[in-house]
This record gives sequence, structure tokens and C-alpha cells, in this order.
Amino acid sequence: MKKLIILSALLPCFVSCLSVKVGDSLPHDEIYSTPADVYRNAVAALYNNLGSNQESIGLQGTCRGIYDYNTLTTDEVIVPIRGGDWYDGGYWENLYFHTWESSDRCLYTVWTYLFSNISRCNASLDVLARSSENCGAETTNAWIAEVRALRAIFFWYAMDLFGNIPIVDEHNKWQELQSPRSQTFRFIFNELQSSLEYLPIARSNEEGLHYGKVTAPVVWFVLAKLALNAEIYSDDDCTDGIGQDGSAIMFEVEGSKLNAWETCIFYCDRLADIYGLESMISSNFSTGNEKSLENIFTIPADREAYKVEYHYQFRSIHYSHGAAYGFEAENGPSATRKAMQVFGYGTPSPDPRLWATFSFDEVKVGGEPVLTEDGSPLVYYPMEVAPNLTDSPFKTTAGARFNKYETDIHAYESGKLQDNDIVLFRFADVLLMKAEALVRNGQDGTPSMARVRERAGASPRECNLDTLLEERMLELALEGWRRQDLIRFGKYHLEYDMRPQLPSETDAHTILFPIPRKCIELNGKLKQNKGYE
Amino acid sequence: MRNFLACTTCLLILISQIADAAPRRRKKAVKRMAPLEQVGFQMPSTITDTVKAVPAKGLYMNALDLLQGQSAGVNVSSDGINGNAVLNSVRVRGSSSILGANDPMVIIDGVISDITALSALYPSDIESFTILKNTSETAAYGSDGSAGVIQVKTRMNSGEGFRIAYEGHLAVSAPYGGLQMLSADEYRAVAADRGLYINDGGSSTNYYSALTRPSFVQNHYVALGGGSGPFGYRASVGYAQDNSVLKDKGNDNIVTKLDVNQTLLNDRINLDLGVVGSLSRNYGLNDPKKIFYSAACQNPTYDAEANFRNPNAVLIGAPLAMIAAKNDSRNMNIATHASFSYDILDCFALNAFGSYYFTSYETAFTDGGSASRSESKKDDLLCNVSLHYDKTWGDHNFSSHIRTEYHVERNSGFRTGVRSLANPLFGYDNLGAASSIPLGGTGSNYLEKKLLSFGIELDYNLMGRYKFALNARTDGSSLLGDAHKWGFFPSASFVWNVKKEDFLVDNQTVSSLNFKVGYGRSGNIGAINSYVNGNYAQPVGMVPVYGYPLLALGTTYNPNPDIGWERVSSVNAGAELGMWNSRFLFTIEYYYSRTDNMLYSYDVPVPPFTYDKMLANLGKMSNMGVDLGVAIAPVKTRDIDLVISANVSWQRNRLESLSGTWMGMELDADRISPIASVSGAGQVGGDNNVVYQIVGEPVGVFYLPHCEGLVQNEDGTWRYNIVDLDGDSSVDLGDYGDRQVAGQAIPKFTLGSSISFRWKSLYLIMQINGAFGHKIFNGTALAYSNMTSFPSYNVLRTAPGKNIADQRVSDYWLEKGDYANIEHLTLGYEFTLPKSAVQSLRISFCVKNLAQMTSYSGLTPVINSYVVNGTLGIDDKMCWPLFRTYSLGFNIRF
Repeated sequence: MKKLIILSALLPCFVSCLSVKVGDSLPHDEIYSTPADVYRNAVAALYNNLGSNQESIGLQGTCRGIYDYNTLTTDEVIVPIRGGDWYDGGYWENLYFHTWESSDRCLYTVWTYLFSNISRCNASLDVLARSSENCGAETTNAWIAEVRALRAIFFWYAMDLFGNIPIVDEHNKWQELQSPRSQTFRFIFNELQSSLEYLPIARSNEEGLHYGKVTAPVVWFVLAKLALNAEIYSDDDCTDGIGQDGSAIMFEVEGSKLNAWETCIFYCDRLADIYGLESMISSNFSTGNEKSLENIFTIPADREAYKVEYHYQFRSIHYSHGAAYGFEAENGPSATRKAMQVFGYGTPSPDPRLWATFSFDEVKVGGEPVLTEDGSPLVYYPMEVAPNLTDSPFKTTAGARFNKYETDIHAYESGKLQDNDIVLFRFADVLLMKAEALVRNGQDGTPSMARVRERAGASPRECNLDTLLEERMLELALEGWRRQDLIRFGKYHLEYDMRPQLPSETDAHTILFPIPRKCIELNGKLKQNKGYE
Repeated sequence: MRNFLACTTCLLILISQIADAAPRRRKKAVKRMAPLEQVGFQMPSTITDTVKAVPAKGLYMNALDLLQGQSAGVNVSSDGINGNAVLNSVRVRGSSSILGANDPMVIIDGVISDITALSALYPSDIESFTILKNTSETAAYGSDGSAGVIQVKTRMNSGEGFRIAYEGHLAVSAPYGGLQMLSADEYRAVAADRGLYINDGGSSTNYYSALTRPSFVQNHYVALGGGSGPFGYRASVGYAQDNSVLKDKGNDNIVTKLDVNQTLLNDRINLDLGVVGSLSRNYGLNDPKKIFYSAACQNPTYDAEANFRNPNAVLIGAPLAMIAAKNDSRNMNIATHASFSYDILDCFALNAFGSYYFTSYETAFTDGGSASRSESKKDDLLCNVSLHYDKTWGDHNFSSHIRTEYHVERNSGFRTGVRSLANPLFGYDNLGAASSIPLGGTGSNYLEKKLLSFGIELDYNLMGRYKFALNARTDGSSLLGDAHKWGFFPSASFVWNVKKEDFLVDNQTVSSLNFKVGYGRSGNIGAINSYVNGNYAQPVGMVPVYGYPLLALGTTYNPNPDIGWERVSSVNAGAELGMWNSRFLFTIEYYYSRTDNMLYSYDVPVPPFTYDKMLANLGKMSNMGVDLGVAIAPVKTRDIDLVISANVSWQRNRLESLSGTWMGMELDADRISPIASVSGAGQVGGDNNVVYQIVGEPVGVFYLPHCEGLVQNEDGTWRYNIVDLDGDSSVDLGDYGDRQVAGQAIPKFTLGSSISFRWKSLYLIMQINGAFGHKIFNGTALAYSNMTSFPSYNVLRTAPGKNIADQRVSDYWLEKGDYANIEHLTLGYEFTLPKSAVQSLRISFCVKNLAQMTSYSGLTPVINSYVVNGTLGIDDKMCWPLFRTYSLGFNIRF
């Protein structure tokens, strides 16, 4: 008996022998004690990987991520095989020819990136619900609205790429089944609309209280975009050949019932009250583009403060072109021949935006011609580009290169860590969306389109669906919209540029990416998209 | 600490109430020290107990060199760096766990240290190794010993008057051989032949020669000891320096050691105190892979000093400029221990032991533009108290001990990095001389780990023939969740000394015969390096907060409150036979071990998890093998001695499963998951995975597309004919496509052997090690035979003739990795000086890395074939140049 007593007395001191100080991490509850902490760690923290320095992570800026899946799978950009470079196991070929597989590892990383962010938003909503008393009801409601809107944006990217995704609106809950695309579409639309009640009507692209944050105009833009694509997003089965009619898809907008096109026009008009066009398109992509009147939603970048990188400039240009800036370039992605045709390259009067978007012909840096390794001047040959350049004399020089963002000569990481904010949404797109919605609704879109062309210095042109699709390339090339545009115009699954239609692609199943194979293996309840089984 | 002392005192009071004193005298717990050095050869005494006397007669740069080939199942690998790297990897019987928790526990004179401390120890200070491989033996060491235990006993003094000894070696390491790339003239000729433009510097260089030099190696060692009667001491100082065959690189190491022993009360009390301190400095390479890739593939028509870079070759640089980058480190260790043992009554003894180990590892890096420094420190405090009981009556001997142990480890570190140095000459000596101190470049960390354990052992020996041992130990760790904090590790073994039986005791032929069988279970949490059992927040990144960049915090991993012990259970059975007065020794041992609740970073589904990986205990792995040892002394006369010994081990590893249930949820991991891949020009991303972990196969298996020879293209070049294995009329190189299992990376058989021969005073020793049954992926040849990157990247001399324009990964370049190395050949002469103060005098000449016998076509088959990480099984452009070391040794003892 005595022994038992001694033993049981010993037990608590055994346990305290094993207690530790964690040191370099804080217990979770400690980081939400004050209102300032709650805002920083439960709201602002959610924006930390909109941009990134890691492959496949981020909405735009790095490679093998969402931007590549929306741009390199279209008639806008191609990454040719240049001899021993850029074969990379056929990754870029697969994107261009639409021969991707569900086992694509980068696609899996994109999926987990988007859903990881959604899950962090859900965790934040739990924290905010608990903090309402501590921080004040009104402030908390505004923060909750912001988080819900940001979460809806992540859902939108996921639904746009994968179509059939699970609606995960609670933290740590095992959501079993995917929802039909139309249902997810409505969920996203409603989340965004209900967040408008609390969101400030303020510019998000300029340095100030709302820098980089989701504000009401950002939400209006997404609502306009969703409405414009309503026909696609409301179609639960893209392979059955039956589409939706936008004029019959109705939305409840501030008391009235509007069809998809009218909804789009409504939100475009609200944006027109605040934003305008810069006199030069390049001002939107300069190193000081926080001052742009036109940018609506950007990813703040600063080479000293943030880790957000923009890879495309130096991935695209030739080694010698990069060396002229003192940076290492990789000589990869180029414009397609089709893109050059649309821009009128080689014709007597190409679109003026050609020079603001691409580098082509003789290359000059600082007024001096750039020389290649053998001393001859560097010349890009846009029309020589092809999927495989291994045997071409223009192996390293074929293709027009990215030139939309101003080169930040003080950038770190070989030109990638730059001061230019990454532009996600801008007002020129709003004008073109309005023009398109008007045309699709049976009305006239000429004034809006003309405003864009006038700023660009291009001559007026008739406004119809064909010219609008071309105008979107001329104005918004390299900004990550091309895949969405081609799908909406019904052209993504057809042949274009040097890409034939795949035999299996006649049912248009490629407008959705496959659910990554690893997701299905790990979560047995997910079903693969049609056409990829 | 106070709590621990309270607990221990309570326990001792408890025990004293149960204990029953008996009058018999018990054997001492601490062995008296052995003589300073042995002259002549000695047969290994009991191979089953894996004690091996150390020859220490050749040139050994560090203690790990001594281990190699000495015991079946122990593999010292050099991670692909074929040189005297400061840190090597040791594996005992392969890996029992996937996540790096496979380093065996190292105990130096009772002080728990690690592989780093062992490699810093001076080889001549080591008297013997005891390697415990079976779980029945290691269970007593608890969780830290689950991957094997290497006990090192250092030389102590005999307490018989003053002794002093000096040993020194002077050596030269000479590079030889190397990859045969195109020379400058050949490069010009091939380019001209194909009409390709090259930048022609008008000169000719071999970058390997420019990077390497014959280097000077030396080591010196002085040991002295003395004392008389109850007091003895030993002190030693050792210094080793290796200038490395790579220019401006090298390392040096100084070790000092002091041991003092005092007995009191007629040998009833024994006090032991020891201190070891070492300082080693390494001037190393930054990015060895890029340097060797550049040395092979850079344009050979320029002088190396011109630092020319082919403008289109983005992935390589100028070798001499790159080697000028500094990547230096300094490691300081201090280990002290004190032990006290008291024979209380004739069969009771009390032992108390405390040790403190401090290590600091500093790094400093600069490439002329940026610089960084870091320091990580570890404090390790261990104390244990044990009570022993030993009683013999008639033919029976019973002993037991009960013990409690407390172990605290504190790790801390910090690092800082800067960019845009104002002048490259500052190097890393003034980090303030930089224009940019970027965010994320500075950080520090702190982690505490505590372990508390209790153990009991019972041994029973009948007639000296039948030995039973039972052991039970329980460990609690602060890193684990409350549900699984404590683990229970029992073990049992039985040894039958058949020689002592009546039918064998007088037998002249058989000198020893033992059978042994055992079972044990131990735990392992080495894979846990942070507190995942709870939800802890860390920096997440810089975000704009009301327009200003501020640092936000959040959880960056999936917490696992259910985390617990990884368990390894194993059975072993073996026999040892000695014949003709131990002139012939044979041992064989079979083991089977199974790891379950295996710790691994599992892929978890997102959603519902927030991050795609979680450290959890699911999954199972099994290892089985046979260790065989043979030693023969065919000739043993006054003038001639010949001893041949060899040990061979065969092992088979299998990843049984990676799935299980976690908190009610079925979790699975990818059945096929890549571990290692090749990278280089045109091989960025894409389908370049080579070594995989596949459920049902050994860990580290080659899973590759199958290539059936070469097929010619229209333009005359050749490509790999990759077979459509699944018959779907397309060749898919992805992880789930047309791939098949093609071999394993970890050797099935390893061989260690030595031949020692003495004729009068002259002796010759040769040591041969080998590994068989595994394969190596020759990624270097795959990349350097590809003509599509020529002339931006240089190619092998054989490449233009083969004219392959393809670098897709397939089994074309998967080769057998079988090899046998003559590790060293030593010739020595022992002077006999009967009447002088000099006790022994010896000179020797030794050649290291003498020869390699292999069918592998690459530079060397000695790559990382044991440690499961991103370099396992692949020879991918990072082999060091080959070199041999010729040394002269001198040894004198007074």
C-alpha cells in the first residue's frame, strides 16, 4: 500500500519532467489576442500567396501554375522545344497540344494550392466568428465579408479550371462530393454579392489602406466576369453538345431580375464610375504601376518587401537579350504565329499594341543593338516559331518574346523579383466585357470597343463577336485570359495555330482540366471529369 | 531537473525497501582498462557479440573509415562524394524507417553522441567498436537505438607507470582518371563537322585538371598515460589535415582527450571522469553538382582562368570562378562525462552517470555578391541512475538491474544572409558591408526535446551454458501527443554456449560453439523534428496590412495530436562456430524486423486538410537478412602469420504499406512516389524521375521506361527505342505510364574482407570491400551523350560517334552497380628493440583507394546507395574526381 502511494505521488512529477518550451513557434490562440492581430493573422495573412516565388504557386507570376494552364494551352503563347532545351519530358508540348494527363504533377499542385487557400479562409472565418466580441461586430462583419469574397475568388479559379469541385465551406469538414458546375457557379456568385454589403468602395491597386485587398470594385469585376461566362459556367455537362443561353440565365441584382448580359453590363457600369483608361497601355505595367488609374486588382510587389516574383520576362527572352540587362534569361516561351497574324505583324500597318506587348525583329537595349555570342545582332523571327525547333536554323531565335511589363533593371533574382505589381484585373477588360455583353444581348457595343482602340492608337473597327475576340487578344494578350475567352467563343477545342484538334476532342471535354489523379487516389469520393476516365 | 532528482530519490527509497541484501561479493561493473596497444595480430574474439579489435595500422582519416567493412551489415556510405568528406552516413542493416531517422546511436565511453562526434574522434584513440544490430540487444537503449547502436570504447591507461606514444602519417593524394570529355581540338572538329558555330578561345583546357591538384595530407597523434594503483589517467592530442584534391579546399581537425579514473575503498567505489574536445574546420564546395557539371561540359577551347561561359548554357558556369565561392564550416564539440559506481553490498551496486555534450556548427558562405552565416548549437544532458544486483549460487547466476534515465536536448540556431556586397573582398567577414539585407534572410530557431525512461533487466545464467535475458524499458517523450507519449519496449534473448556442454567441452577440434535467439521491440521518433502534436503558429509571409508590408503569422502544417512511437519489432537467430583453437571462425545470423506505425510525411487530401502532407504513424516496412562472417588463420608460426577474414551480409527490404486509419479517416499515400530524379539542361521538371518508393517493393527501386536499343532518326541521329509497355499505342513516360520495376538501388549483398600477412617483422594488410545486387542509374552518361545540347554543353568523347539525340530517361543507362574495392594496401615493418626504452617502433607505407573492380561504366560505382534521399542510386554529374592516397606512417611507443 505504501508503495502504491509513493508511486502515485511520483506520477505528476514524471509528466512535468516532459513539459517543454516550444520556443520558435506560438500556440495558435496567442496570435489572435488583439484586434490588430486578428486582422493581420486572420485576414491579411490570407493574401500571402496570391503571388509567390515558387513554381506552380500563385494566381500569376511563376511558371507551371494557373497562368500557364490558362495561357500556354491557347493560340497566344507556345513554348517550343529548342534542341536540348525546353523538352522537359514533354510538359510544354502537352500543354500546347492539349495532350495533358490527369497524372500531371503541376496540376495537382495547382489544385492543392487553391484548396489550401480555401481551407485557410475557412479557418479564418472560424476565428472571426469567435472574435466578434473582442473586435466589435461591425468591424468583424466587414472582415468576414472580405474573407468570404476572397474565398469565392479562389473557388472561381478552381471552378474555372476543373469544373466539378466540392464546395468546402467549413474548416476541417470532410466534404465528400463534388457539386455540379452550375451549383458551384451560383454559390460563388451569391457569396460575392452578399459580401458587397460590407466591402468598401475603394481602389485596391494603389498604396493605401486597401492596397492589394479585395474591395467592392474587385468584386464587381468578378461578378461581371462570372455573368459574361454564365453560359459556360451553367453548363453541367460540356461534352453533350448542348449549351446554355445567356439571355435565359437570370440573376437577382439590387432588386431587379437581369439576364447574364445585363448583369455583366450593370457591374461594368459601376466600375466605369471609378476607373478610367491610362493614356498609354504601358503605364499599367511599369515599375511604378501602383499609380495606374486603370488597374483594378493587382498583386503588390516590391523587391525589398515582398517575395512576389514575375518570371515571364526572363523566361521568354534570349540569353543575350537578358545578358544585356545583366540578368540570366532562359529563351523559352514565345508568341504563336496566330497571335502575330492577329497583331498584323508583317503587314504595312500592324496594331500599335504590337510594340507594347512583344519583342521582335532586331533587339535593342538602351538604344544599342544586342549582340549574340558570335557577334552578330540578335534578331527574333516571329513567324519561324513551331512546336519543335530542334532542326531549325532559328532554334534559339524563332518567336516574338514577352515585353509587356517594364523591365526592372534593379530587380533581384535575375530579373524576377521586381517592383512592378502583377496586374490581375484592369479597366480595359471592363470596356471589352461590356461591348461583348451588349453584342450578345443584341445591342451595339461599338462605343466601348472604340474607347479601347482609340487609347491604343488603332483605327476604328466594326464591333461583332469575331472582332471582339481579336480585340481581346490585341488588348489583353499575356494577361492570362485567353483560355477563358476561347472557351466562351467555342474555339478552345477546335484546331488553331499549328495545333490540330485531337481525335478525342470533338466532344470538347478539354475545356476542363482533369481532376488530378492523386486527388482521386487520396480522396476516393472524387469523380473524374468526362473524357479523362 | 529538480523533478527528476525527486523522482529518482523516491524510486531509490522504494527499491531499498524491497531489496534484500546477500553476502556474496559481486563482480565489478566497470572493467579495468586494457593495455595501450596490441602488437601482433589478434583474431576477433566473439563475432556474435560483434566486438571487433581495431587494426589501426593503415592511414585512417577519421573514425568512420575504421567501421567500413569491419562488420557484416554495417555500411558506411559517402553520399556520392568520393573523398574524405567530414560527414559520412552509417547504416546498420539498412533503413528501418523512411524518414531520415536511420542513423545508428553512437555511444562513446557511455556518452551518447552522434555520427558527427564519432567522425571527429581520432582513430588511434579508439580501442574497439561494439555494434549492436539486433533489437533484442538495442531495446535496452530505447528509441534512440532502434536503428542500431555503435558503442565506442576509447583507449584508457593500464595504470602501470608512465607511457607515451606518438603516431604520425604523411601522405599525398593524387588525382587520377576522370570523365573523358571532348578535348579542345575534338570539340572544334566535331562542331566543324556538323556545321555548328562555337565560341573558339583559341586555347585548350581540361577543367578537371584546372580544378584538382595533388594534395598533402598529414596527421599526428600523441598519447600519454600513467598512474599507479587506484589512480590512472590518459591524455591524447591528435591533429589531422587534408588539403583536398580540389584547389583551395580542405579540412582539418584537432581532438584532445583526457580521462581520469580513481578507485576508493578497496575498489568498491570507482570514479571516472572524461573530457573530449574537438574542433574541425572544413573549407568546402558550394553546389558540388553544378561545379562538376560545369567542369565536364564547359567550353574547352578557353583557358580555365578566362572564366568563359557558353552564353546559351544556362545551367553551368565557369568552374574556377565557382570553386572560388566559399562554403566553409566549423564544428566544435565538447563532451564530458562523469560516472560513479559503488559496490554497496556484495551483490548490490549503485551506478550514477552523467554526461554533457555541447556541439556548435557554424557555416559561412559567400560567392562575391552575397554572403550568409549561420550557427546551430546543441546542448545534450543525460543522466541515469541504476541499481544492480548480482548473485551466484551453485551453477546459477542471477543478475538484474533497474534504471532510470533522463535526457534533455536543446537545439538552437540562427542564420542571416545579405546581398549586394559593397566589395567582394569582404567575403563573409563583414555582413554589414552589404546594400541589401533581404527579408526572410534572417531567422533563428529553438527546439527542446525531453525523454524520460525507466528500465529493468533480468539475466539468468545456468552453468555458464544457458543464458536468458529479459529486458523491458519504457520511454516517454515530450514530442509526442498525450495519447501516445509513453512507449513500451520489451526484449528477450537466449544464448546456448554449446562448447560448455559435456559432449564438447573436451573436444579439441571445436573451440567454441554458440547458438543465439532473440526478440526485441524498440521505438523510433527520430523523424519528428518539430512540435506537430499541437497547433503552433509560425511566420507565413509578408503581406500588405493597411498598405504597409508586415509579417503575418499562421499555422503552416497539418497538426497531428495523435502522433506516437514508430515501433520496430524483430527476431534474430544465429550461431557461431570456432574450430582448431579459433584458427577458423564462422558466424551466421538471420534477422527479420518489421516496422509499424511508421512515421512518414503522408500525402493527405486537400480538402479537407489544409496542407497536402502530414507527419503520421501509418504504414509498415519489413527488413530481413543474413549476416555471415568467416575468419581463417591457415598459417600461424613464429615467423609467419596469415589471417583472412570476410563478412558478407544479404538483406532484403520491403515497403509493406503506406495506408492506415487516422482519427477515423482512411488515409492512403501514393502507391508510387518518386524519391530521386536527374536534372540538367532540358531535364527541368518533366518525366525525369528515376528512383521511386513503391508499396510492395524495396524502398529505393528503379521504376523506368523500358528501352529496346537505339533506333535511327531520319537525319541520321539515334534515339532511345522506348517500348509501349501497356499496349495502348502511345508511349507515356509519366509516373503512371509505361514504366516497370527494373532493379533496386540498395545493394543486396555487401562484402567486407581483409587479408593480413606477416613474415618475421614485415607485415602486409589488404582490405577489400564490395557491394552487389544493386543497380546504378548513369545519369551522367545520359546527359553527356546527348548531342542535342552540343555545342552549348560539351559531350563525352564517345558521344559524337554514338550520335544519340535524345535524353529521355529509360533503363538504357541503368547499369549493374556491383563492385569490389581494394580500400587499402599497407606494408609495414615492426622493429624489435629488446633493451631500449622504446617499447615498439613501426613504419608503414599505405596506398588507399588502390583499385576498383567493377563493370559500371561511369566514373565510380561508389555513390549514395544507402541513404534514402534525392541522390539515392543515381550517378548524376556530381562525382568527385578519383584519387589515390599514398602515405608513410611512423609509430613509436615508449
